[in-house]
Amino acid sequence: MNQTPENTPESRLAAIRRRAEDQRRARMDTDAPKIHIGLATCGIASGALDTKQAFEQALAEQGIEALIHTVGCAGHCYAEPVVIIDHPQSGFPPIFYHQVTAGKAKMLVKLFLAGGDPRLEHVYGATVENDLIPSVMEFPRFNREKRVVMEKCGRVDPEDIDDYLAEGGYGALARALAMTPEEIVAAIEASGLRGRGGAGFPTGRKWRLAAAATAEGKVVICNADEGDPGAYMDRTLLESNPHQMLEGLAICARAVGARQAVVYVRAEYPLAVRIVTRAIAQAEALGLLGQGILGTDMNLDIEVFQGSGAFVCGEETALIRSIEGYRGMPVHRPPYPAQKGLHGRPTVINNVKTLASVPPIIEKGPDWYAAIGTEKSSGTAIFSVVGDVVHPGLVEIPMGVTLRELIFDICGGVPGRKGFKAVQIGGPSGGCLSEAFLDTPIDFDSLTEAGAMMGSGGMVVMSQDSCPVDVARFFLDFTQKESCGKCTFCRIGTWHLLEILERITVGEGREEDVELLQQLGEDIKDGSLCGLGKTAPNPVLTSLKYFADEYAAHIREKRCPGMMCRALTAYYIDLEKCARGCDACVGCCPTDAVFTTSTRKKGIDQALCVKCGECMVACPPEYDAVRKVSPASLAPIIERPVKPVAEAEASATPAKDAP
Amino acid sequence: MNPAESDTEAQLLKSLPEHLAPFGTERSNLIPILQMVQKHFSYLPAAAMEIVARHLDIPLAEVYGVATFYNQFRFTPPGRHPIKVCLGTACHVKGGDIILENFERKLGIRDGETTADREFSIERVACVGCCALAPVALVGETVHGNMAPSKIEGLFTRIQVEKEMAQRKKRENEPDA
Amino acid sequence: MMVEITVDGRVLTVQAGQSLLEACLANDIYVPNLCHLPGMADPPASCRLCFVEVDGMPQPVTSCTVAVTGGLVARTDTPAVRRLQRSALRLLLSVHEVDCKNCPANKRCELQRLARFLKVGLKPKDLPAPRKTPAVDDTHPCFSFYPNRCVLCGKCVEACRRAPGETVMAFSRRGFETILYFDVNAAEAGRCENCQACVEICPVGALVMKAD
Repeated sequence: MNQTPENTPESRLAAIRRRAEDQRRARMDTDAPKIHIGLATCGIASGALDTKQAFEQALAEQGIEALIHTVGCAGHCYAEPVVIIDHPQSGFPPIFYHQVTAGKAKMLVKLFLAGGDPRLEHVYGATVENDLIPSVMEFPRFNREKRVVMEKCGRVDPEDIDDYLAEGGYGALARALAMTPEEIVAAIEASGLRGRGGAGFPTGRKWRLAAAATAEGKVVICNADEGDPGAYMDRTLLESNPHQMLEGLAICARAVGARQAVVYVRAEYPLAVRIVTRAIAQAEALGLLGQGILGTDMNLDIEVFQGSGAFVCGEETALIRSIEGYRGMPVHRPPYPAQKGLHGRPTVINNVKTLASVPPIIEKGPDWYAAIGTEKSSGTAIFSVVGDVVHPGLVEIPMGVTLRELIFDICGGVPGRKGFKAVQIGGPSGGCLSEAFLDTPIDFDSLTEAGAMMGSGGMVVMSQDSCPVDVARFFLDFTQKESCGKCTFCRIGTWHLLEILERITVGEGREEDVELLQQLGEDIKDGSLCGLGKTAPNPVLTSLKYFADEYAAHIREKRCPGMMCRALTAYYIDLEKCARGCDACVGCCPTDAVFTTSTRKKGIDQALCVKCGECMVACPPEYDAVRKVSPASLAPIIERPVKPVAEAEASATPAKDAP
Repeated sequence: MNPAESDTEAQLLKSLPEHLAPFGTERSNLIPILQMVQKHFSYLPAAAMEIVARHLDIPLAEVYGVATFYNQFRFTPPGRHPIKVCLGTACHVKGGDIILENFERKLGIRDGETTADREFSIERVACVGCCALAPVALVGETVHGNMAPSKIEGLFTRIQVEKEMAQRKKRENEPDA
Repeated sequence: MMVEITVDGRVLTVQAGQSLLEACLANDIYVPNLCHLPGMADPPASCRLCFVEVDGMPQPVTSCTVAVTGGLVARTDTPAVRRLQRSALRLLLSVHEVDCKNCPANKRCELQRLARFLKVGLKPKDLPAPRKTPAVDDTHPCFSFYPNRCVLCGKCVEACRRAPGETVMAFSRRGFETILYFDVNAAEAGRCENCQACVEICPVGALVMKAD
């Protein structure tokens, strides 16, 4: 190639970046305060749009000049809506505010932006070290993280490519264009990057296989068909920083020699679809994607395909079938998609997180990446930690951190005085681990060895008040509904597993059920066609192994130790504690199960009770009279008076709900 | 379905070929086309699927087979206020199924069904991504976090009030028109 | 090219690239199977019955997806193979309406043959499962469909695809709810040519010609 220094990819990128920085400076680098608002789905769900509107309104009312900068999500779900206010004139550093409601927004405009008082009682922390207020970097939730994939999330505006460019974006692509495909593959291999979609297949090996294929029309696919019912990091990445994935996708295409790319996003993620589509258009307009990328002869057409909602389409071969217009049913591998994939052409399919890991690897070098994490699992892992933890949300940590560090040190542990019971890792394909595994390091192999798996990165922390049997039932209910139905084991086997688990959770379990679950689980694991079926029994098999006593309690004593299984629990009212005449529990009951006894104290009609627990919440703490017990037979029976006052009144007037 | 609604459906069917025109006739267009049709009708009417089969020149049985495979596609019209109850992991742990049950009891329909007056439909969805607010339900596009059975009554009252306000506004505007 | 493979200690001379299942069947070594049809380019591998053990592979594999190469050594009758086969058959039987004496497929039913071969009882008592309703679908003018006999082997769909005229059969829905779908209007419009290929190929009596 006869490239003069002026038209190398890197010099072209430098020119694009200069222009982006100029434009950004024109908008941002004023002395006016800047308000950064997180507007990913989670933020919006928590009311961030109202917050934004309140800021705009209040700024207009107060006549204050300030810049509202919409950003994605930084993973701090517990704190949404998150707002960072950078008000240089006030003398304070940029400040992180959490749970900024519309009211708080108005107050902050009036008192902080106009009055210079940051209202310390509402401050979560400064975003940088300073002498005035404590920084968030003093909190383990912030300083124990290692951000590689999510580094720019929550900092850049996902709808503005200039933000990404100004943060150094597309530098890795420019560098990759100066490398040979073989050099890129070798760099990815040397980094030790493993696929973040679940099983941890070495990414470099996958690329090498596709690069070696001689067939024409190679395709690269970004798999953003996130299906785990409790994991949402792929969506967050696309909604917060789509370009990092797109850059990785382009580098992948360069490495394997593909000219066509597909981003497969769930249709249930409308915001992600919109943002990615827009990001592609912006990058194409600047010559960063599309035809003649950065002045080279590389072309890449990227299309967005909306997945129609089938968990099984996260499996490579099923995903390909669905793009081709068929039922998303997996096919037998080999041949692997890298040899024979979409329309029979060599196809590389990588998860969003895998692709987003690529630009930093190219930029900072494979050795830098390989030094993060453990020897066999390099880099970082992203978990969506939910359930009984103080600080739920997305956490990116170096591989090798133990479960205990993640759950207790970083996410704040189990709230209240409830103890830790279990952690379910890897969603429907993963497993449920007990306290004994808390010191297990988080990496692909250690988790698999323990019977769980990295999977999608979903993590549910369970306190003593939760039930591993019920959680296994929950995941089986999910996989059973999401089974494609092609192969016998998954189609019928998961149905039976679920049926048995349901039986156990309603107190109809039999002694032989444990054995049956075990056998059936093993058979499904060994006999199923695809990864979905092979991993579907994991939640059952691990909970059987580590929580055998819980199964025994359900089956033999009809008792749910975590008091989660509704059929095995009952609420009753402690007459010693119940106050005469307080009707809080009666009023809140959705099924009129709570009644007034002849002594004007309250009782619960067990036949009508749906065990929603509303009465327990409603009962004033000074009485604290509502009790929950398991087995249900422990609840004392209180007879409903034949004609209580309320009913006598009701029967005098015609029932209003009657048709 | 009342006569006015079947009228609009006939009109929609008439305009379908025009919406199909931008799509190629390769099989790989099937799912994008079905998504377009569903956007158009808010569900997949049988007559529309026949038109799609002809457009792609594939058997109707195949179109039907594909459409019924995916969660996204529905074959009955949704309610005007679709209610989606999140049953993702975090919501499940916090009692999302109790919320679902309460909606079902209140409306007298099951998950996946629409009320006779086509006002409401109930659907279960997996993780809407605000786990910190669990349990969560969506009415239309609005997310309601930290749901409790006692909040459901209030939600319906709010919808009723909003409806009445809209009607009043409409009446107020009518004389001007 | 012909190659030599060893199955259950017997040396067979077979076509290279042929599926191991077909190679076994052609040499009178029975390997249980339901969804296999000769001449399929991509076998569905969905019934999960044709497991065998192949040297060098840690676990039993479906023989329909193994292309034979010279020197391959396989065993069709190991405990691990039988365990998976019995389990799969028991699962299929758990959703199958066992009422042989009122079934036209009695005595030539593939499930009966499999149960006899694998020594599995026809009614797995520990695996109760619901039945689909209606139990008979009479909407097609030529045949009746009994969904509770159907084992979703897919042979009828494949036969319909191979038959001349339009394909009018497909699977619909998903997972446990998966059910055979046929375009009833096609029959009335003459697009289904009533070739009966689907009925003839059904191994379990789920598709039955109407009497008249």
